[in-house]
Amino acid sequence: MTKEPMGRIPLTDFSHLQSAHCESGVASNLLTHKGLAFSEAMAFGIGGGLFFGYLPFIRINGLPLVTYRTAAGHILKRIGKIPGITMFQKRFRDREQAMAELDAALEQAIPVGLQTGVYWLPYFPKALRFHFNAHNLVVYGKDGGDYLISDPVFPGPVRCPADDLVRARFASGALAPKGKMYYLTQVPKQLDRKPLIIEGIGSVCKSMLSSPFPLIGIKGIRFMAGRLEKWPERLGRERADLHLGHVVRMQEEIGTGGGGFRFMYAAFLQESAEELQDSSLLDYAAVLTSAGDSWRRFAVMAARICKNRAQPGDSYAALAERIRECGSLEEDFFQQLEQWLKQQP
Amino acid sequence: MDQPNQISESSITDGVKIISYVENNKGNQELVQSSVWFPVDVVNHQAWQEINKQIEASKEKVSTGRASCLHYYMTANQMDTGLLASYTRQPRWLVCLHLIPFCFSRLGSGTLRKYVEIFNVSEDDLSHGKLKPPVYDQRAHGENSVD
Repeated sequence: MTKEPMGRIPLTDFSHLQSAHCESGVASNLLTHKGLAFSEAMAFGIGGGLFFGYLPFIRINGLPLVTYRTAAGHILKRIGKIPGITMFQKRFRDREQAMAELDAALEQAIPVGLQTGVYWLPYFPKALRFHFNAHNLVVYGKDGGDYLISDPVFPGPVRCPADDLVRARFASGALAPKGKMYYLTQVPKQLDRKPLIIEGIGSVCKSMLSSPFPLIGIKGIRFMAGRLEKWPERLGRERADLHLGHVVRMQEEIGTGGGGFRFMYAAFLQESAEELQDSSLLDYAAVLTSAGDSWRRFAVMAARICKNRAQPGDSYAALAERIRECGSLEEDFFQQLEQWLKQQP
Repeated sequence: MDQPNQISESSITDGVKIISYVENNKGNQELVQSSVWFPVDVVNHQAWQEINKQIEASKEKVSTGRASCLHYYMTANQMDTGLLASYTRQPRWLVCLHLIPFCFSRLGSGTLRKYVEIFNVSEDDLSHGKLKPPVYDQRAHGENSVD
């Protein structure tokens, strides 16, 4: 470790709160730090985070992209556009400049959000170090050569050496962060959440129900079910299992809150019900929770197949049926939600 | 929905508790700190098995002289030629060329240094074809004495 005297950077008093999903967690932590209490689920909902897309022409490690949430950066973008909130955002070409600007912001006691590649972060558990470049975290201080980081999916603050952080900020590949850093510059003291909630719900309903693309939304769920059914004969058993495992990973691995973000969105609806004094949202949340449970039942069966512990009745056809079940539950849910939206003033 | 009769794999998060949404008995979603749900372990394990299989195949290729040690480092770090090319800022065909032992052994130290930097190994390791562990394993094994 270098012992040279570094510019002493004041320790920002940043309250770290663990969350299930990195992007909404960062949004919630940054807003809360600025004095506007914001839960993770609320950030996820207002940011319009829920989604479904099956995009086989984008490959991750040779496997088709399945996503249960909107594209990386979407939530923060929407939050930054809330009237009254202003967000500073910058990408870099030059590594040194990127780190210098980070240090400059830290010196002013501003906690800074960064987009990073998971693969290069040494504090990450080994088993999760894949080339995934859309991980968000907050840097709130510097101690010698180490940066103090509040990574929302970890229980407590962590440390990361500067060298590794540079690499993580300039990871290459899909969704390359290009040193992206952001922080909130202005946050109102009070926020009328009602229009934001309605807008957030509206954007999710639109993408899930009426996207013209057959690979997106409810149509996408059904499309994936059709494809999944044919995987064993098209790809052979081994490749099919890999594809299946990949779907489950995208749905359940760290950062989803379980059930492919469905539970998190249900939590958002419940919170909104309280905020708007509207109990019908609670019923919708219950429908979405059952859809999330259905996704989880799919994951359990898929895991049995991946592990070669298939029970009688487990098959790719049965899995496809499960997914269709999820699809119709969600279709039901979003139609109800759309009806609710129409009743809103 | 956890089934107690499931055989649990070793936790993928090294014991770090994660947080997820769980419905409480009033039907409300609550944030609960817990270990990883078992299907996640299963599929994560499966993904790593596949990666390890590829690494073994690559080691075999390198040891029989059908590929340069760069092939091992690339595979061990979960990269393909495209990703490695963009990390080292070279055209992809050049990286493909470097996978051939004949071409790789004739590389100058300027090019080698690009690979040294990205894989966190020494120039010696590369030119002598030593197979060091991938980046994520180096710290755990105390191998990070290179710099």
